[in-house]
Amino acid sequence: MTEEKDRKESEKAEKKPASGESDVPRFRPIVPSGGKRFWRAMTKRPQASHLWVGVLLALLGFGAVLQVRGDEEDALSHARRDELLQIYDGLTREADRLEDEIQELRRDRDDLASSAGDESVALEQARERLRQAEIIAGTVEVSGPGIQLTISDPDNQVSDTTLYNAIYELRSAGAEAIQIEGQGNDTAVRIVAASYFLPADGGVEVSGVELEPPYVITAIGNQENLEESMRFPQGVMSKVELADGEATVTQFSELTVDTLHEVTEPEHARPAPEGE
Amino acid sequence: MIPALGLLVGIVAGLLFDVSVPLDLQPYVPIAIVAALDAVFGGIRAVMEGIFDDKVFVVSFVANVLIAALIVYLGDQLGVGAQLSTAVIVVLGIRIFTNAATIRRHLFRA
Repeated sequence: MTEEKDRKESEKAEKKPASGESDVPRFRPIVPSGGKRFWRAMTKRPQASHLWVGVLLALLGFGAVLQVRGDEEDALSHARRDELLQIYDGLTREADRLEDEIQELRRDRDDLASSAGDESVALEQARERLRQAEIIAGTVEVSGPGIQLTISDPDNQVSDTTLYNAIYELRSAGAEAIQIEGQGNDTAVRIVAASYFLPADGGVEVSGVELEPPYVITAIGNQENLEESMRFPQGVMSKVELADGEATVTQFSELTVDTLHEVTEPEHARPAPEGE
Repeated sequence: MIPALGLLVGIVAGLLFDVSVPLDLQPYVPIAIVAALDAVFGGIRAVMEGIFDDKVFVVSFVANVLIAALIVYLGDQLGVGAQLSTAVIVVLGIRIFTNAATIRRHLFRA
């Protein structure tokens, strides 16, 4: 009876060696420890009956290595259907989002490109207008085909009105840039919108500058038209000849108007406000 | 000794031969491996308790693997494959931990 009880106690102690603080004597001398048993099993002479165990463990190692390597190769190949669906869903949503982003960026890019194009076009137009304005205002040298009208006036009889008429006729014939030179005192004036002619002693005054004959008027424009405008009956040339002067017209295929007009800041006029 | 050698041979063979798992078996291999691990830990525990029997080990190993694979297969057919394989992994994991705890007690008496 006591022997049986002892054995039960010993079994308990064997099963739970952690609770080894009981006063029941241990059976360590009889029962070797787990580690010792394991070691003994490892070092024991191989048994033929363990062959199957070895085969199974080899299969286990083989399968585990294959599986791990397969995982490395392709994480999706053994995912389940609903996992795949989830992944697919996520990817689709991501793709949609990225597609939206692409379109947004593309729109931004187009906006920027078109605004840059607008700017360059506007700049080009502004340059063109500046060029035109400079020619009209007489602040740049101009070259091109045109005529030179030389008026020799030994008796100083050619009036400012005659010269003004000459300018007027040249303009109506399409002259784009005109200068008048007084070779007598070697001065020249560019004819612009604000130019005026006044009589003066020994010559004419153009825009505040005195010119003495002979005069040379240089005009850029269509050569034939300009010459024609000088030659028509009762025109400039006959007026000059009436004043005992001599007028000659020469056509040039390349002329330069090199006198510049100095623009003064308008004192009274200012652009009217738009839309009022 | 033979089992340990067998495990080594299997690992080396797996590393040497570039064989991929057949597609039909792919859902079952991970579960089968976990089930086999359970059997192996149970075997080590039995060795330490001095009650190891190779016949019992072989039968439990094969049965574990087959049953685990069968459960996953059934789950796939029923449309709850993911959940059932999780369940199998959990149960086997618990058993592996229990066995590992017992082995630990045998080794360190703690």
